Amino acid sequence: MRITIDGREIEAREGATIFDAAGAAGIDIPVLCHDPRLDPVGVCRLCVVDVGERVLAAACVRRCEPGMEVRTNTSDIEADRAVLTELLMSEQPADHEADRRERAFGDNALLACARRYDAWGDSLPRGGGRADDTSSSVIHVDHQACILCDRCIRACDELQNNEVIGRTGKGHDSRIAFDLDVPMGQSTCVSCGECAAVCPTGALVDVAIGPELRPRDELEAVDSVCPYCGVGCALTYHVDRERNAIVFAEGRESPGNRQRLCVKGRYGWDYAAHPQRLRVPLIRRDDAYPKGALSKDVRGEHDGRRKPGGIVDYDEVLPAFREATWDEALDLVAERLSTIRDRDGPDALAGFGSAKCSNEEAYLFQKLVRACFGTNNVDHCTRLCHASSVAALLEGIGSGAVTTTYGDIANAGAALLAGTNTTANHPVAATFFKEARKRGTKLIVVDPRREAIAEHADHYCRIKPGTDVAFYNAMMQVIIEEELGDRAFIEERTENYDALATLVADYPPERAGAICGVEPDDIRAVARAFGSADSAIVFWGMGISQHVYGTNNARCLIALALLTGNIGKAGAGLHPLRGQNNVQGASDAGLIPMVYPDYQSVEDPAIREKFESAWGRELSPQRGLTVVEIAHAALEGSVKGMYIMGENPFLSDPNVNKVRKALSNLDFLVVQDIFLTETAEFADVILPASSYMEKLGTYTNTDRRVQIGRPVLEMPGEARLDWEVVCDVSTRMGFPMDYASPSEIFDEFAGLTNAYATLSHDNLGAVGKLWPNPDPERDDGPVVLFDDAFPTENGRAKFVPAEWTAARELPDDDYPFVLNTGRLLEHWHTGVMTRRTRVLDAIAPEAFVAMHPDDGSANGLSDGDNVTVESRRGSVTLRLRLTTRECRGAVFMPIHFREAAANLLTLDELDPDGKIPEFKFCAVRVSAAG
Amino acid sequence: MLKVPHVTSYLTEHFAEDAFGTLAGYEKKGGYAAARKALTEMAPGDVIELVKASGLQGRGGAGFNTGLKWSFMPADSDVPKYLVCNADESEPGSFKDRILLERSPHQLLEGILIAAYAVGACTTFIYIRGEYSFPADQVERAVAEAYDQGHLGPNVLGSGFRHDVVVHRGAGAYICGEETGLLESLEGKKGQPRKKPPFPAQVGAFGMPTTVNNVETFCHVPYIVNRGAEWFRGFGTEASPGTTLFGVSGHVVKPGLFELPLGTPLSEIVFEHAGGIAGGRKVKGVIPGGMSMPILPAGQLDVPMANESLRERGTMLGTGGIMVMDETTCMVRVGCVISYFFRDESCGQCTQCREGTGWLNKIMNRIERGAGQSEDLGVLLDIAAKMEGQTICAFADAAAWPVQGLLRHFRADFEEHVRLGRCPFTASFEL
Amino acid sequence: MISTGTRSKIEAEMERYPQKRGALLPALYLVQAEHGYVSSDTVRELAEIMGLHPVEVMEVVTFYNLFFDRPQPRHHASVCTNLPCSLRGARVLLAQLEEHVGSKVGEPTDDGRLVLGHEECLGACAFAPMMRVDDAYHEDLDLEHAKSILDALE
Repeated sequence: MRITIDGREIEAREGATIFDAAGAAGIDIPVLCHDPRLDPVGVCRLCVVDVGERVLAAACVRRCEPGMEVRTNTSDIEADRAVLTELLMSEQPADHEADRRERAFGDNALLACARRYDAWGDSLPRGGGRADDTSSSVIHVDHQACILCDRCIRACDELQNNEVIGRTGKGHDSRIAFDLDVPMGQSTCVSCGECAAVCPTGALVDVAIGPELRPRDELEAVDSVCPYCGVGCALTYHVDRERNAIVFAEGRESPGNRQRLCVKGRYGWDYAAHPQRLRVPLIRRDDAYPKGALSKDVRGEHDGRRKPGGIVDYDEVLPAFREATWDEALDLVAERLSTIRDRDGPDALAGFGSAKCSNEEAYLFQKLVRACFGTNNVDHCTRLCHASSVAALLEGIGSGAVTTTYGDIANAGAALLAGTNTTANHPVAATFFKEARKRGTKLIVVDPRREAIAEHADHYCRIKPGTDVAFYNAMMQVIIEEELGDRAFIEERTENYDALATLVADYPPERAGAICGVEPDDIRAVARAFGSADSAIVFWGMGISQHVYGTNNARCLIALALLTGNIGKAGAGLHPLRGQNNVQGASDAGLIPMVYPDYQSVEDPAIREKFESAWGRELSPQRGLTVVEIAHAALEGSVKGMYIMGENPFLSDPNVNKVRKALSNLDFLVVQDIFLTETAEFADVILPASSYMEKLGTYTNTDRRVQIGRPVLEMPGEARLDWEVVCDVSTRMGFPMDYASPSEIFDEFAGLTNAYATLSHDNLGAVGKLWPNPDPERDDGPVVLFDDAFPTENGRAKFVPAEWTAARELPDDDYPFVLNTGRLLEHWHTGVMTRRTRVLDAIAPEAFVAMHPDDGSANGLSDGDNVTVESRRGSVTLRLRLTTRECRGAVFMPIHFREAAANLLTLDELDPDGKIPEFKFCAVRVSAAG
Repeated sequence: MLKVPHVTSYLTEHFAEDAFGTLAGYEKKGGYAAARKALTEMAPGDVIELVKASGLQGRGGAGFNTGLKWSFMPADSDVPKYLVCNADESEPGSFKDRILLERSPHQLLEGILIAAYAVGACTTFIYIRGEYSFPADQVERAVAEAYDQGHLGPNVLGSGFRHDVVVHRGAGAYICGEETGLLESLEGKKGQPRKKPPFPAQVGAFGMPTTVNNVETFCHVPYIVNRGAEWFRGFGTEASPGTTLFGVSGHVVKPGLFELPLGTPLSEIVFEHAGGIAGGRKVKGVIPGGMSMPILPAGQLDVPMANESLRERGTMLGTGGIMVMDETTCMVRVGCVISYFFRDESCGQCTQCREGTGWLNKIMNRIERGAGQSEDLGVLLDIAAKMEGQTICAFADAAAWPVQGLLRHFRADFEEHVRLGRCPFTASFEL
Repeated sequence: MISTGTRSKIEAEMERYPQKRGALLPALYLVQAEHGYVSSDTVRELAEIMGLHPVEVMEVVTFYNLFFDRPQPRHHASVCTNLPCSLRGARVLLAQLEEHVGSKVGEPTDDGRLVLGHEECLGACAFAPMMRVDDAYHEDLDLEHAKSILDALE
């Protein structure tokens, strides 16, 4: 439509506000309360314009109408704006020079208005008396500087969907408030920082994490990707090159995160500058043999609950090592590994890559193990996370990745969240889940733990731990009985339906309800909600996969989607939420013992030949050992030498006491990492590696989005890029590797795959591309896969029915509780990074075990008590936290704390298909610590 | 005992009789005949046309044509439509709706039924200000009686029309008298007025088309239906037909509520009906229509009390709450009281309202204390001017107008304070 | 804790509105009638019952004058001090009552019996000065009458 703004005829799109239309035409209208990402509220009134009515209209709210004549800058309006600015400035803290936002970022929008209108609030009596709130670890709240624009409230409600901030009172005395008007640090605020990111004044400003905050234009902006979880949020680091320091991070526009970040992404990057970074290669001193754990924590000699802040005491561990040159260290590594290979055979070697490393590094590492070592004994932490899901997906639909993105939930009628604590583990994805629910998607949460996302659920079912198969079989029984399935889809696109129907017929809700501890009618309600939705997505996490029957759990979810025709259309699909930032990519790149890059079987002769010719080496025809199998083999002595790049199995693998023995038993261990980890205490050689912040590479998120991470810092000391180290080791072991850049490595990797074939560093663009992508020059890539056929031999997906079986180690009189383990919002896996970030460590400094209050009182235990948790494999002492989030009869421990390692207790039994260990179910007892 | 010295009346004709508040007593005086007539003999469109023709203006302050407002409701729509009775009377100086609620709840319900039928509303929410406990009890009792007798419910008066009434109590916030603030409050939220468009007739209560009318407005409707538009136009002026309820307070001999035709001269109301100024003193100024309306000085009391004539004097009829101030009155103190009220009652959304009301009050207090400076008068006018016509709702205007009125007619009072550095009005009412 | 009786009344209120949030004001009146004020715990509980976020309930509690977020004395006696009442001596009366009860406006008496307050216009302008004691209006007051009303409060 045509409208006139300030005498200029302008074309405005239908539904555009005057503010948008003016902006598109390059006409600047000052505004304070509006942010393009938020629903406009029109409260600051600075953007008022004359549309020929009695009352001036707020441009941010008022929609264009054909023929509208708008005037944005009459002298009256400008005078109005000057008075508004004057009113607001008179309430601001008197010292404008000291304004926190202006000093930190140079972008205080109110001060910009003050300069524009030369209005400094001096004509009015100055306000005052509103207090600061310094209770948050990440944000300084200055109520006096607040202009009640409601941006923070809307950012919290509409973007992060946390609903923590509101207004208290009314009129002149209104203030922003957190929860029930408690200090920010005591509220349910999750410190995502979205409020501070949108605040236009000095009211909500980030606390400096690294060096003092500085205006953007004094810093270099580097577009990158968050190093933490599989959501892979796009962000920008603002870097002080001279001081080699990140000053702050900020969310970046991308289809994935739309500028949103969580506390880890926004505030958790200072680990890279931690003084404990490794700077030179280290070789174990002769007097530090025989090998074994060096620190008390790792030796397991705990003497009661430790104080918070359990990073490694270098004084305890460094004396066991001496500094070496790279040449000496690399020669030693090459010589010792070669010796084992030549003496004991290639399968006496094994390697752990890492899902924290890039696609390029993952590809090179598996190439090193396969082509240079000559074994398929290469794996990484996918084994500990979604190996069972991938096994079930490959078997059922012929592809191990997600069939649709998490953002597609916006199109879903229903979404099932199974065994996933998304608000902690995929925080930004969770914001989209909550948003979808507000817009009408029915949210179904099934989990023994009543996690935060359950509060947003339309249906929440608290199943007993380990009863997932029975629950989902019953859902399918109801769907079949009530004919809610998609007959056409089943007939045209699947096979083996009859076997499924036969099996689930034995799981009527009455029987399953008794197993799961859920009312039969609740199962029916959930089945109907899911089965009758036009489209439905299944999301799942470790609650499904980390079990000895994890593959069966995933099979049920896949069958549920197939049964209801929920794959291959918008708002429908299967989405195992991937944990690590590059667990998808590392798996795609072949860091898996059974498959080469792109899931091509090592046992298929034709494929093997392809890789043999590409790499110029004869390759092993046998699938290799998985993570836990390698540890077992080390203990038995069949694996003698290991190269561990960026993994920390001492804390991440089950049954730590066994892992300790296994690592001690290795003839030779080289650990390449950025810190001296618990695992590195067992190393013969430690190589100082590059952190995420220091290198270029690609990372593939849970959505299959391949994005570029860029270097923002110089490496400390003599630390080197991981890919170069891998090349050097390989070359010294007689298999020369020589690449000019990560981009060249990517091209070699992509050329050996279908999924990545069209992609290159040059065409990934600002926000990356989804794989597979037929036309990356023009297209972002397909959100929904398999709208036509599945990548199986006959193009059909397969129902794989699964019987429910009880967990391996059931509670009994001696060990009456089920132990569940998992993650916290503020920490990452074994804590190597997050416990070395100031803010995250400050918010969550301490290990704990969580228990239902009724179990606490039944056992005479109170919140905050010092308790010992024991399993048949070990014991830890830590603080007790009572919370109704836990179900009766089960306790929960986070996995991040070396001083109270959850994996001392866990069971190292494996799922037969996915080879994933049982992290979420073992029997323990809890007693007051002596 | 209630004092209602009605003068020319139909609304308040029977207010001296307690029985008028009961269903039986109300019907005895002919009550519900108009509703019966409308619901059984008239088409909804005819009712709207009749009310339009009567020229009935809304009695809540804005004075918009009631029939026209009803006609904005979508006629054919398959979503529920709602009617809301604004009984959140909070405008200082106004108490007419309270008396109507207490004395004649069935008169209100009858008006509501007719209006609901006309606009096709399934439910009416009567939003009564929280402090009005007794009036709300009366309305609840009347609603229960009406349900008992089939005057409400699935088959109103046997006509086949279904209607429900929900009595909703506010909780103490002036801004909920603003119709969209009221709707927010009705939905269980803070009473922050909504951005318009959309208007309530499009998106109103609970997202549905809604008409909001004032208590008194509804009360006139049965008489119009019974006696016709022409009869109604027999009262008042051409542009402002009918009677209205003038509440007179302040320094008069006989404060009270007077039902008089619109257009009655202000001087007649003050000096005849309200008995003139108490203590034989002279009048200094009169606020003619509730506290939001600019004050008139003693020399302008000849003005007829109808919007068309009051506008010429720079003020408005508002809610008809007339506040009379005698010669002892310090107009700066008046400004302090008024600006404190608006500072306290702004919802706090729009900048100039939240900040402006605070500053107006601060500066008023400073002048009254004797600490004012000569520039302060200019600042007051500047801020007031910038609060006008720019905000989401008219509250900021309502806060600005009285300040402008005081400075227009009583600037000397302010200047005297500044000059002397103290308040010269020793006999004025105490702050 | 919100009693089961009050809870069922709240649930009944929720049925009366097209959207259950409409019942928030009635629900707050109900919990306030039960507890005398709306505590933080009550806010959380009510939010849970009504499917709201606690912050949304907090906003409403603090927006409206008739809801209290801390314990209250047994009685509230508030004199209207808006213009029509002030013109007829309301502020003088209030000051005298402060002296009479021995407590300032907003400060509860030591025995927790009473708090004096001032109110904005209560719609009794022709019957000034007036005072609202709990839910009841007392109009056309003089000092002696007002004192006797306060003295009679338990």
